[in-house]
Amino acid sequence: MRTSRTLGLVMIAPAAIMILLFYLMPVILTGVFSMTNMSTATGISGGAFQVTQGAVNRLRTEMPEIADAISEPRFVIDEAGIAAVEAAGLASAIAAELRTEHLGEVHASRREAERMIKALKERPSTRQTKQISDFFNRSVINTRFESREALMEGLKKLGVTLTPEQQEAMARATYTGWVWTTDNFRVIGNSPDMAQVFVNTAFYVAVTLLLFNVGYALFLAVTTHYMPATTASIFRAIWLLPRITPVVIYVLMWKWLTWDSGFISMFMGQFGHPPKNYLLDSAYNAWFFVILINGFIGASMGMLVFSSAIKAIPEAQFHASEVDGASRWQQIRYIILPQLRWPILFVTCYQTLSLLASFNEILLSTRGGPGRATEVWSLAAYHTALQNYTGNLEYGLGAAMALVLVVIGVILSLIYLRVFRYDTLISKPLIED
Amino acid sequence: MAQKRRTSANFSSLPVILLLGLISLPLLLMYAYLFIDTVTDSQAGSLVPSQFTLRHWSFLWETKTGKPNIWRVTFNTFIFASSITAVILLVSSMAGYVLSRLNVPARGVFLAGVMVLHAFPSVTLIIAIFVVLQWIGLYNSLIGVILVKAAIDLPLGIWLMKGFYDTVPWEIEMAGLVDGASRFTVWRRLVLPQIKPAIMALGLFSFLTGWSEFILPQVLAPGAQVQVLSVYLAGLIVDDNNFDFGTFKAVGVFYVVPVLILYVFFQKHLMNIYGGGTKG
Amino acid sequence: MRILLEKFSKSFGSTKVIEDMDLDVGSGEMLALLGPSGCGKSTTLFSICGIHRPTSGRILFGNKDVTDLPSQERNVGVVFQSYALYPHMTAAENIGFPLTVRRVATAEIRKRVAEIAALVHIDNLLDRRPSQLSGGQQQRVALARALIRRPDVLLLDEPLANLDAKLRLEMRSEIRRLQKETGITAILVTHDQVEAMSMCDRIAIMKAGEIVQIATPSEMYNDPRTAFVAGFLGNPPISFLKGTAEQGEFVLGDGSIRLPLAALSGMPDGTPLMLGVRPEHFGNGGDVPVTGRISFAETQGRENLYDVMFADGSVLRSIQPVRGDLKPGDDVRWNLDSKAAFVFAEDGRRL
Ligand SMILES: Nc1ncnc2c1ncn2[C@@H]1O[C@H](COP(=O)(O)OP(=O)(O)OP(=O)(O)O)[C@@H](O)[C@H]1O
Ligand SMILES: [Mg+2]
Repeated sequence: MRTSRTLGLVMIAPAAIMILLFYLMPVILTGVFSMTNMSTATGISGGAFQVTQGAVNRLRTEMPEIADAISEPRFVIDEAGIAAVEAAGLASAIAAELRTEHLGEVHASRREAERMIKALKERPSTRQTKQISDFFNRSVINTRFESREALMEGLKKLGVTLTPEQQEAMARATYTGWVWTTDNFRVIGNSPDMAQVFVNTAFYVAVTLLLFNVGYALFLAVTTHYMPATTASIFRAIWLLPRITPVVIYVLMWKWLTWDSGFISMFMGQFGHPPKNYLLDSAYNAWFFVILINGFIGASMGMLVFSSAIKAIPEAQFHASEVDGASRWQQIRYIILPQLRWPILFVTCYQTLSLLASFNEILLSTRGGPGRATEVWSLAAYHTALQNYTGNLEYGLGAAMALVLVVIGVILSLIYLRVFRYDTLISKPLIED
Repeated sequence: MAQKRRTSANFSSLPVILLLGLISLPLLLMYAYLFIDTVTDSQAGSLVPSQFTLRHWSFLWETKTGKPNIWRVTFNTFIFASSITAVILLVSSMAGYVLSRLNVPARGVFLAGVMVLHAFPSVTLIIAIFVVLQWIGLYNSLIGVILVKAAIDLPLGIWLMKGFYDTVPWEIEMAGLVDGASRFTVWRRLVLPQIKPAIMALGLFSFLTGWSEFILPQVLAPGAQVQVLSVYLAGLIVDDNNFDFGTFKAVGVFYVVPVLILYVFFQKHLMNIYGGGTKG
Repeated sequence: MRILLEKFSKSFGSTKVIEDMDLDVGSGEMLALLGPSGCGKSTTLFSICGIHRPTSGRILFGNKDVTDLPSQERNVGVVFQSYALYPHMTAAENIGFPLTVRRVATAEIRKRVAEIAALVHIDNLLDRRPSQLSGGQQQRVALARALIRRPDVLLLDEPLANLDAKLRLEMRSEIRRLQKETGITAILVTHDQVEAMSMCDRIAIMKAGEIVQIATPSEMYNDPRTAFVAGFLGNPPISFLKGTAEQGEFVLGDGSIRLPLAALSGMPDGTPLMLGVRPEHFGNGGDVPVTGRISFAETQGRENLYDVMFADGSVLRSIQPVRGDLKPGDDVRWNLDSKAAFVFAEDGRRL
């Protein structure tokens, strides 16, 4: 009994797992990462404790004496060192003398320690002196400790004992892995760069959407409506080409058009204009082409949706209006447009989301340039986290930027779900087994 | 019928045809030159080709140093696109059926989820996915990027499939049941054959988007061993040392021709899906 | 095999479709489920074949309780209104499908398909797909597919609704012939009373999820239990007069007609009543003369149909052999057969 339920669960499991793995988990992780300072430098797994010069500098403001203490090299004559000397196969008298005469001494610098070693009865050579002094080097600077305990142990050997608070500060300053932080959002909120990117994005989405994804799409749908069927389908096929063409080639064609040895340059050359890169020579031009490039692709979906909506309008309405003497423009204004309200809303919702997230075309054409003139939010996130010139990929900050998009995306698509009432789409199965 | 409806007797269609033709000209020009430039050379500063040449196509038989072999890349692309197609068809034809017909708990929630995800801009997740793939060791492998791309296109696939299944009459399934077939057999032997055209359309669509995909392989599998054509071509263009539009375009044509052939032959099938809502 | 429904109820969510239905179909019998659209005929049928699950009650085939048995194990054959042929299979594959899923050997399947195809006269069409068959041929394929597994029970959901008039007539006798030949217990769902009366041993008339009366066609016609049943059977349909009881007589609203009726003895005066008179019982012999004016006349070829309106506006229908002497507007005085008339209480109960 209830075989269909079992079968249903089995059949939907692969989809559920894939969605869980590649949608839900990334959404959660985007949230998690956005609360960290993960980057190439910190790595994505755990880190170690390393007393670097930078760490010491950071410590100095809090506890100057300790910072000084650990930044100096220390040479401690201890049993471990002596044992190492013995094992190194040097004259045994050296180790013996160190043990009897110098055990427990602490030298503040390598020079001091080496002077002491040089003065040993055995007279070690300069090379040996250096070798021996290394055995007693107990400095922590530039040493890597795998765990916090190892770090504290090392410090203790050095003669530095820390209170728990100091230990905490020390651990924090020397940790090389990623840590939890809300700095990313502070950066997003405060940086003028981010504000600029935000304005760019709003401008880009609004203009492209209005002019092309809806505006030009409507124009295409209406004009093809007034054409013979074959001509109309040819034009629709042409305007679907940008969508069909792989984006890399599509952008390549635009580059050819705008490059300094490209079509426009040559064409303008006929009129005596020197060749230039029309895509990148000014922010104004860059925007012009970025919007064209994306708009040509975006117009296709609207064109198809609107065309089929117009086709669904009963023919009688057109005949009747023609008998009534309506002009073509009046037909469009009073018959077609009012009946396209829902399709237009649908396309607007859908394409806003797509435009917000798509950066393929901008990345391939202007890369956000010239300067950062055409950098939009999603591209900025990509640049921050996955490809930038400094080489330090800031996953945490990038994830925080992506999170902004994720939140907008979720809100808009929930609205979309409400508007296109999904509950009408689901009906109870008729077979009850 | 259709012919009559479009050309209304009262309006001449010539002006709109001319207008749209004019607007479409730049686009057509770009495509025309995409092909012309691959087999010709022209004088600097001239748009008129002066001689026929095949040198732009030399990438087919010579591998540039530092670049992977074109055939290897093509093979990768083919594997990439067809694996995505297979995964999407398999997974969404099952899930779509469940959502359309079977009585499973939380069916409504799942359907709503699929609908939201279908509109959701998945590229925003790429940073997290990048880190996940590094963790599980699938970074820079075809398998990883195939799974990711398939998962991202899955909601659309499930959504479309559900719609197609909805059009299959219930009575066919009822007849199957009383004829003694299990629910699985009913699906496999009776229902699936009814939506063959839909499977065909979704398969083509998935293959084309897989073939064209750029950003996912670029981020998740940039290595030479697993490079696909889009990444290869983008790499070629970025390489400032040998800037040669002729070669770029030749590679581009090599890359785009299968797409255009499929498009020309199956335009009708595809139109529905492109109109039904995809990202871009 | 006998089919038994005991206190069978079915609801979809909160809408109750069938409540406490009892139905007993004898072995080898063909029963018609007759009723207006939406009364729950298909729901009953789908519950018998296991596509729907009863909300409560039991379903038995013979002595076996099949209430919880899945469709696949019930061994029922169903012919759907739309035939539900599998479009991607040939006629032969369609017919053989029930055997194919039971893993019967191919040779055996071929043999039995040929047999059954001969039985329904489609042996020359086996290689065609459903789309290449006419409606009647599709119908036969569907029948063959339902019969090939030698089902215990045959269920037919409006099997003739999609056929044209001539084919419908032909298939009616065809289905009845097959049912008789195979001796199978069958239930036929229909809202066409002619179909029900001509094809079935008994008829169950349904209204809003309940069986109002179950009887043989002639019993049902001659002895309807309610006005609803009387109105459902008969073509042209029965006509009703509204009136009251007065000293054992039925009195039409304005008193212009008075009928002495045995059923009314002892009835208090003024009880509202309904009188049902079939067209053949008015104007052809009879005992009580009534006067009215012809308001409508129609010829049906062999017979003529007249509507006669009385002073108070109520109408009786009469069917008579063709005659050319009457036209609308003529006054007539015809006899009404009071012994054949049915009297119903105001709520439709037969008295
Ligand atoms: N799956 C369902 N969910 C809710 N209500 C249903 C469902 N199926 C049927 N009904 C309701 O049950 C009632 C009976 O339906 P059913 O299909 O049995 O009628 P029917 O007698 O076969 O009518 P018809 O002659 O039109 O086929 C109808 O009112 C219908 O709306
Ligand atoms: Mg029905």
